[in-house]
Amino acid sequence: MVVCLYMKLELKKISKFFPGIKALQNVDFNLKQNSIHALLGENGAGKSTLVKILCGVYQPDEGSIYLDKQKHIISDPTSSLQLGISAIHQESVMFDELTVMENIFIGNHIVKKNKLVDWYAMEKKTKELLSNLEADIKPDEKIKDLSIAQRHIVQISRSLVHDADIVIMDEPTASLSQKEIEELYSIIRNLKKQNKSIIFISHKLDEVLEICDEFTVLRDGEVINTDLISNTNKDQLITNMAGREISQIFPKKHVIIEQEILKVKNLYKKTQFKNINFNLRKKEILGFYGLVGSGRTEVMKTIFGINKFDEGELTFKNSKLKIKTPKDAIKNGIVYLSEERQNLGMTGLMSVKDNINMAIMDKNSKYLILDKLKDLQNASELQEKLNIKVSYWSQLAQSLSGGNQQKTVIANGYQQNLKLLF
Amino acid sequence: MKNFIKNRDFILFSIIIFGVIVVGFANPYFVKPSSLSDVLTDTSILIILALSQMIVILIRAIDLSVASNLALSGMLISLLSTVYPELPVVFFILLSCVIGTFLGVLNGVSIAILKVPFIVTTLGTLSIYRGLIYFVSDGKQVYSHEFSENFLALIHYKFLSLSFLFWVAILVFIVMYILLNHTRFGRNLYSLGGNPDAAKYIGINENKYIILAYAISGFFAGLCGYLWVARYSVASTQIAIGFELTVISACVVGGISVMGGVGTVVGCTLGALLIGLIRNALPAVDISQFWQLAISGAIILIAIIINTKTEQRKDKTIMVE
Repeated sequence: MVVCLYMKLELKKISKFFPGIKALQNVDFNLKQNSIHALLGENGAGKSTLVKILCGVYQPDEGSIYLDKQKHIISDPTSSLQLGISAIHQESVMFDELTVMENIFIGNHIVKKNKLVDWYAMEKKTKELLSNLEADIKPDEKIKDLSIAQRHIVQISRSLVHDADIVIMDEPTASLSQKEIEELYSIIRNLKKQNKSIIFISHKLDEVLEICDEFTVLRDGEVINTDLISNTNKDQLITNMAGREISQIFPKKHVIIEQEILKVKNLYKKTQFKNINFNLRKKEILGFYGLVGSGRTEVMKTIFGINKFDEGELTFKNSKLKIKTPKDAIKNGIVYLSEERQNLGMTGLMSVKDNINMAIMDKNSKYLILDKLKDLQNASELQEKLNIKVSYWSQLAQSLSGGNQQKTVIANGYQQNLKLLF
Repeated sequence: MKNFIKNRDFILFSIIIFGVIVVGFANPYFVKPSSLSDVLTDTSILIILALSQMIVILIRAIDLSVASNLALSGMLISLLSTVYPELPVVFFILLSCVIGTFLGVLNGVSIAILKVPFIVTTLGTLSIYRGLIYFVSDGKQVYSHEFSENFLALIHYKFLSLSFLFWVAILVFIVMYILLNHTRFGRNLYSLGGNPDAAKYIGINENKYIILAYAISGFFAGLCGYLWVARYSVASTQIAIGFELTVISACVVGGISVMGGVGTVVGCTLGALLIGLIRNALPAVDISQFWQLAISGAIILIAIIINTKTEQRKDKTIMVE
């Protein structure tokens, strides 16, 4: 592994504070040219904050950024792009209703001498870019008709058009199939050959070990370890990330096989899924594996009563289960945590407390009037139980980090007499 | 999706042609070239305002103040023309546009800089601009004999048996088509409306675009201020009252999504033409005033239902059997 020693990007003593929470503290981060640098850490460790600082979305409270040995202030996303930093985000930053070619050139349209947009030149360039990436995407397809992997490729093409030297990839493989991941790897290696530096964020340590050259581990906003990948191994990375020995993290427990709680038999819905059979026991965690679009979510939503199924049978605690609406499911103690937690799981503009209590307003109120005290007690009890990091109770749920948002949603479900959780 | 939009425009076009034929059977006078030309003339202002409203709707906003803006600009130049009848008409047109643009920029600044929600802002200026007409005119009308001759002459000019008004609408159509499809500004409007967060990441200055969109909307409201006053040879406190709703309906019927980022210039124009056709055809086939309103409303609702239905059908099928 040949790594060029030229330091492309240096972050020195970067700190960022949010109300009551230190998101980043004295973070040093060095990115070499021609290098794929893994940024690791548990949820809420500060990775996203760091990325947003590089993208100009947040301003660091302390510290400085050096690019090509020169000090820079990245005041907004535009200047980040101009400095050649381009990010492939977890959240969608694409324009669903516009075509592939427009998404690639957006904000950067090729124009003719008379200042009019040169559609022909853009289409030609797009075809060229896509064929270089060996992607089978048509320039005039709409983004909303593309798969997630294809969207990543469009985003990568966009950063190539901007001639970015630094490409940040925030969990690019999160919802890709094995084949798509392989293709993405070869694209990333290709970028590296073109003298780009890549910041690669991932939770899958195997892929980090496979593709990256260097790594930096963040925990609670601080740099724990940074080194060459060749000097480390998986166990060490996990220990770094969690701050504990691996055996402590997932202690093997002796499991007694309990009675079946949910039985799904021949569930069928036209065009979405068929022959769905599985059993779930008490105290069991059942993993559902499948690609985006394979029908996972659809099956779960059906059991929860959001969608209806055409044929099949659900047995819950030895009696036939009839769920027509999500309310029925909740009554039976079935709780669904949506993958789109921001849209479906919570109300971002309400406080953490209100979000936690949302589903049990009935229980906490007397004569239709909410018992505020009980509300608060309830919330703090659960907050402790689940270790949600909040600075104050009325904090808006949307200002929490992803992991803590997830916990809030769980807390919401927790009190509905939870028996079954998706 | 491209095909779908093209299709949609084609459907709209077919409905218009079909409508003309049906009305033609009921009242043969209606399909004579001269009366069809009158329909086009009558719809021209609607087309212009719908196209400028479209720019605002594209970025997920709405401009409710257009009709008041039109009436205020129209009244101001009318009053001026009674005092200085010798000034050339071009001066009045430009002045009307400048006043309209200024009023539009006020909307834009309130929304972009002062962060007053667009619906509150334009609802407010709808009343304020209308109220200012009473203030400047003392509630009096400017009658046709008070206008100078050259002020009114231009509007009656015809070329290839189509009115001056309709030629202006065609010109605006061409300008809008190029602006929205072939300039960076236009394409950025689409992206801003499609995904405002993502637009920030690629460095689109949202405030600048909001102000510009309202400025354009105001500019054309001002232009229509002159056109309206000159066409009907009257300026009063009451002109174009409630016309903003007709304009927004034309956009919605034309397939401009109020969720932003979706819609074509051709579709918007066809939407305006369809509304214009309905407004002209219903009296021609002797349908009462009351039913005219109800039918217009029903057609708008149907258009929206078709929009949502077609969107739903686009849900991806996961497993094809």
